[in-house]
Amino acid sequence: MFYQTHLRSIALILALGFLAIYASFGSYFAREIVVEITILAILAISLDFCAGFGGMVSLCHGAIMGIAAYVFTIMGVKLGWPSLPSATLGLLAAVLFSGMVGWVTARTSGIFFIMATLAFGQMAYTFFFKSRWLGGDDGMGGISRFDLSWLGLDLNDALVFALLGVGVLFLVYVVASILLRSGFGRVLCGIHSNENRMQAMGVNTAKHKALAMACSGFMAGMAGIIAAQHTLYISPELLIWTVSGEVLLVVILGGIGTLVGPVIGAIILIMMKHELSNYTDYWHMIVGVVLILAVLAGGRGVYGQIEVWLEAFFKPQAPKEPKEPTESKEKEQDLA
Amino acid sequence: MLKVDQLSKDFGGLQVIRDLSFQVADGERRVILGPNGAGKTTLFHLLTGVKQASSGNISYAGTDISAMDAVGRASIGIARSYQKNNLFENLTIRENLMLAASAATGKSNWFIRDASLHADVKTRIEETAEMVALSDQLDMMVNAISYGNRRQLEVGLALATKPSLLLMDEPTSGVGPAMIDRFHHLLDSLPRDITILIIEHDMDLAFSIADRITVLNFGEKVFEGTPAETRGNATVRQIYLGEAK
Repeated sequence: MFYQTHLRSIALILALGFLAIYASFGSYFAREIVVEITILAILAISLDFCAGFGGMVSLCHGAIMGIAAYVFTIMGVKLGWPSLPSATLGLLAAVLFSGMVGWVTARTSGIFFIMATLAFGQMAYTFFFKSRWLGGDDGMGGISRFDLSWLGLDLNDALVFALLGVGVLFLVYVVASILLRSGFGRVLCGIHSNENRMQAMGVNTAKHKALAMACSGFMAGMAGIIAAQHTLYISPELLIWTVSGEVLLVVILGGIGTLVGPVIGAIILIMMKHELSNYTDYWHMIVGVVLILAVLAGGRGVYGQIEVWLEAFFKPQAPKEPKEPTESKEKEQDLA
Repeated sequence: MLKVDQLSKDFGGLQVIRDLSFQVADGERRVILGPNGAGKTTLFHLLTGVKQASSGNISYAGTDISAMDAVGRASIGIARSYQKNNLFENLTIRENLMLAASAATGKSNWFIRDASLHADVKTRIEETAEMVALSDQLDMMVNAISYGNRRQLEVGLALATKPSLLLMDEPTSGVGPAMIDRFHHLLDSLPRDITILIIEHDMDLAFSIADRITVLNFGEKVFEGTPAETRGNATVRQIYLGEAK
């Protein structure tokens, strides 16, 4: 079950504060890194929502993000729609696709669910890759930035864009945490824990899982819209299965089933990627070692492990009771 | 009223339930007896829709529910507790009951409001915990409570859905005499608007709570009657108690 504990609130504030400060006082390059982190973190939260709390480890979240980005771009570039309706339709497409994936795969679990979602993701990837109208492997450009001048914001300013990304990340986190604490979210955790019992209590678990995937798709779609807005260009690379694999890695690295862990995981991965690549071309190996350590440490991930340590540290200790005589001592007394 | 009509279930060549027919009146306490392998738990699977019958019909409250799945049957008020604990192990007792209460009150479809803030969910958690004597342990993790308390919670999860038909599969399985007394008290205290079918191997408990008893052997009904009639029936004594004719 998800609880927005003080520790999680503090971790979230620290993570978002770090990103905001890093963008505010860093170079243009630092701001680009912050946007990269926010996109990955939003996608990781969406995956943690269904994998960490619903037990649905999806390998098509990259595709869901890509579908939102493509539909947003098609409506804006090909059909000339304004940004906001285009983005809304992009999100709707992501919700429908992920809801459909959830509905079809609801009766599967474990490795079969993973493989089914991988198949859906690769089908979507192949569709966009092969489509000449959508630019094939060249992708599509010509995307225009959201006009937020009525709010006094210029999204062409890298700092403004980075801070907006951090703001959207916060909003997605809030949406996910509200959903997880609602009756819907609690029952989703129940399905993860014991699906048969939830069915015996009258819950249509297939419908519930499909809805959870749709909610997750909405969040992944947000990442897709920001990704399209960030580079003003999209390509089938967004949908490829390795994107979904990287997101899963981030969720495990940060701490699956913690919601804030994936944000921490995204920061660690992207920062390591950029910092380590300055020193070695083999930075993937170092990331691999960190991931293995995170998995070996009980599978809790970096934040998850820290949470366990801190909870144990601050947990009130029960007063020690005087030891009762052991059986052997009693026997000794009897003999005496 | 629950009406079972010529119900059969076979797994390949093995017929587990054979042409079983019986009726249970509203509010009745019906005990199902039978030796191991008699088909008692399979009967519960068929009544709750976990498994579909090979032939025959089940109707409840005047509706044919034979084709209805487990979710549909639960939603019309049929609940069950399991022979082996089937709980949410990594959650607290309160969270376990909250899941049942949320499911039964329709709060599982609420997307915004915190599940624990719904007054009807809270009330149901407290009422159910009181019924199964777990009020003082609500915030304990299920994997940290005793086996007896788990059996109580097992029944509590079914009761939290406010069923009109409750199927209890060996609720006292593996517990000691003190806990059996506690279950006896619980069963006595349940309102008569709940119809109860119970599989029970503790004869004292079974005979004291039953209005009527149905005895199964090899998937067939071999006897049905009041506890007094069951005690005196030679066939039952031979089949169930292993006495010579």
